[in-house]
Amino acid sequence: MSDYKKYQCGVCGHIYDEAEGDPDSGLAPGTLWKDIPDDWRCPECGVEKSEYALMA
Amino acid sequence: MHIVIIGSGVAGVSFAEKYRALSADDDITLVTREHDGYYSRPLLSRGFSKADIEQTIILKPFNKLRENNIKVLCDAEVTAINRADKSIVILGGQALQYDKLILAQGSSAFIPPPFRLYEKLFFCLNSLSDLKALRRFRQGFLDQNQRPDWAIVGGGLIGCEVASDLAVAGDKVTVFHAMDRLMERQLAPEDSILLLKVLQNSGVNVLLNQAVQAFSREKDKICVKTEATAGFDGLIVACGFKPRNELAELAGLETGRGIKVNQQMQTSDTSIYALGDVAELPNGKLYAFILPIRNQAIWLAEFLAGQQQGFWTPPVFTTKAKVHGFEAVHPYNV
Ligand SMILES: Cc1cc2nc3c(=O)[nH]c(=O)nc-3n(C[C@H](O)[C@H](O)[C@H](O)COP(=O)(O)OP(=O)(O)OC[C@H]3O[C@@H](n4cnc5c(N)ncnc54)[C@H](O)[C@@H]3O)c2cc1C
Ligand SMILES: [Zn+2]
Repeated sequence: MSDYKKYQCGVCGHIYDEAEGDPDSGLAPGTLWKDIPDDWRCPECGVEKSEYALMA
Repeated sequence: MHIVIIGSGVAGVSFAEKYRALSADDDITLVTREHDGYYSRPLLSRGFSKADIEQTIILKPFNKLRENNIKVLCDAEVTAINRADKSIVILGGQALQYDKLILAQGSSAFIPPPFRLYEKLFFCLNSLSDLKALRRFRQGFLDQNQRPDWAIVGGGLIGCEVASDLAVAGDKVTVFHAMDRLMERQLAPEDSILLLKVLQNSGVNVLLNQAVQAFSREKDKICVKTEATAGFDGLIVACGFKPRNELAELAGLETGRGIKVNQQMQTSDTSIYALGDVAELPNGKLYAFILPIRNQAIWLAEFLAGQQQGFWTPPVFTTKAKVHGFEAVHPYNV
């Protein structure tokens, strides 16, 4: 599937790529942004999901 | 080989983890004065609006690094580097040999010289221990159903962020800024005006063109002296940062604003490297933001593991003032 999206943390620049997920915090590859729990935080600076923006 | 790292901020920790991932055999020891783990410095500016911040700010407990075969000496203040016998000295007397030493001591708050006399009268917000001290002080007021009245000296990135967070948390805040607009170094003039409006709307009293001369204590108030004198419950000085050069200076390494490194992050001693807020590149720049620092740390880990050649070049990055409700229209100047 090629329509996986990427989201970037506005504070530290970390990129969440749906295709890759974030296995370290328990998000399997392919986990969609909307399916990430609200209490998930940026693995690199700790801010909340709401600080991320969809990348163009 | 034994690699010793001084400092457990994003520079030291990112380097240690990456190097461990690339080299299973070398010994890695991270020495830090911290106690609570690896924490997020950007989140310090959200330290008042969030109740559980003292826990959530910790990105990784030190044990997590230890599980990854990184030796961590915490509550350990490094007091000297002995280049002749390649060792560092830890407060209390212990010495530690290194083959390669990574300096990642970061930065402390910059205190303008005229304010240094009054160190007992103000807080800074540079580390988790600063935040904890501020929160304890603030809690004393909340426990008596009062709201502290704050003065913040400095309308740069951190001053504006802290002002915003304290105001959102319900406190009364006055910002004293020396220049005629907020965050003049990072923002376009139009955005400074927007930021001013956002802060004012959240109840912050912003005073521009302020020449703050001195502080004093009058009974239970701390006074800020400009042309007039005003009293506050708490005072925070937020006037920028200062790389922690002292260890390097004492050891005779080349320093400028930071510890001077070449484009391979190597200091004037070929066994010693520097990363993060403390490292000054040949172009005279310090890259004091999370994204370029992680990039530096990972590059150096790859370089020392033999998987990288050439020079470190800074990645494209930007920043963002974490002021509640503020979005700049123009790009930031970083
Ligand atoms: C309030 C605030 C908000 C910020 N917001 C952002 C943001 O939104 N986005 C962004 O990109 N950047 C932000 N920054 C900047 C960013 O946090 C820093 O650039 C980054 O943390 C620097 O990392 P470092 O590892 O170089 O140093 P530090 O994080 O300072 O870590 C240095 C470590 O070394 C230890 N140490 C120092 N000296 C010794 C010694 N002698 N012995 C033992 N240990 C020692 C310290 O205890 C510390 O753990 C912010 C900074 C602050 C203060
Ligand atoms: Zn982040």
